[in-house]
Amino acid sequence: MYSVSTRAVSLRQSQRLLWGAAAFLIVWSAWARAQDSAIRPVPILTGSAGYFNNVVAGETQLTPVIMPVMLVPLGDQWLVESRGTFRAEFERSGSENAYGGKVEKELDYLQLDYIANPRVTVTAGRFLTPFGIYNERLYPIWIRDLQTTPLIFPIGTGSSDGVMVRGGLPLSSTINLNYATYFSAASEVPAFESQRNVGGRAGLFLTRPRVEVGGSWQKSLQGERSVAVGGHFAWQPPPIPLNFRLEYAHGYGGSGYWVEGAYRLSQIRKWNSVMRRMELVGRMQQFFAGEEEEASDDEYQLPHSNVQQPDVGLNYYFRDGLKASASYGRWLGRRDYNVWSVGVAYRFAVPLGSVKEQ
Amino acid sequence: MRERTAILLGLMAFFSCYSNAGSRKEVIPPAAAVSSREQETMRAEGEKRFYSNCARCHAAPHKFPPRMMTTIVRHMRVRATITDDDMKFILFYMTQ
Repeated sequence: MYSVSTRAVSLRQSQRLLWGAAAFLIVWSAWARAQDSAIRPVPILTGSAGYFNNVVAGETQLTPVIMPVMLVPLGDQWLVESRGTFRAEFERSGSENAYGGKVEKELDYLQLDYIANPRVTVTAGRFLTPFGIYNERLYPIWIRDLQTTPLIFPIGTGSSDGVMVRGGLPLSSTINLNYATYFSAASEVPAFESQRNVGGRAGLFLTRPRVEVGGSWQKSLQGERSVAVGGHFAWQPPPIPLNFRLEYAHGYGGSGYWVEGAYRLSQIRKWNSVMRRMELVGRMQQFFAGEEEEASDDEYQLPHSNVQQPDVGLNYYFRDGLKASASYGRWLGRRDYNVWSVGVAYRFAVPLGSVKEQ
Repeated sequence: MRERTAILLGLMAFFSCYSNAGSRKEVIPPAAAVSSREQETMRAEGEKRFYSNCARCHAAPHKFPPRMMTTIVRHMRVRATITDDDMKFILFYMTQ
């Protein structure tokens, strides 16, 4: 009995030793790589903050938003990144004059990235679902050209908990391929809610004409086990300061598209110091509700019926990361109404360590 | 159990060495190590790649200190799935 228990203790000790050695190996490996770098990266707190005054169908909403992003590089190949969103929509309720409302808090992503080689990055944790281009690239308030999100935005997007493999590689001197594929587990843990699904996105970027064409796919592995598909196109003609984007998505709750153009007035010579800071934006979008009416409910955050919405906007860039924006849109659905938005967005970046080169 | 742990350790050591050998690091050639003509070529290429990749979504940011820029470019490499070569030239451009 004595010898058996002694053996068990010895086994546990040796296992602890081995696990300790494993942990040491990982930390040492990351540290050793960090020493090789010409420039060692520093952790950063970045993100955006904004305040918008929206008037939707005659009702005023005061909307402050803060989206902090934390970036913690580890060695040369690892990165921990996280983003949260704190957003409020304060409205007048009843006959009271005071504005009130809740602050919504969301964890958009909390992920560990491992750059395995120049073409492959492995991500684990909670990440933005790679479907289309809006969710991952255009969503931050300091980036988006119009503050209202597209009608089809909820299709296939949101956040997922699981594993993702992604990367970019040149196919030739003028064509780059980018891809992302993932598996997500179902979760009802507060702040980590996600659905069980699998999917991916791939795109080709033609560097000379600056054209990107791509597609997305998602298969739900729970509930109605539906499939969502999407396509995107982006073009930035080299001689003109124009950004042209188009996205299409089809899912269980419906389908639709948005097409947007943003033109920077930097080519206008008169009052150039002012004009080059201005950007005109136009967007047209349509949503077609799914055949099953109940699918387009609040669960999917999609409109209940067919809608089309033209928008026009104006952005003014005071300086890098600080812009004022104003837009007007017309919701054309079962009832028609105006959507006004005016506000300011700011991007910040603060180092969480010394920035002196060593 | 011990064998399993040993195998796990072995795999981790192999993976660590493999990934180290297979990866190309975000090393920027120091300005002193390249001639001014090469520097100018790399800067121009970096600027071109910046406008091809980054400016498709957002305006050009002002230049942060190199240690911050290295973190930001790594973040954008993952987020925007830009290629390794693009990342290196952009990092050079943004830190000069």
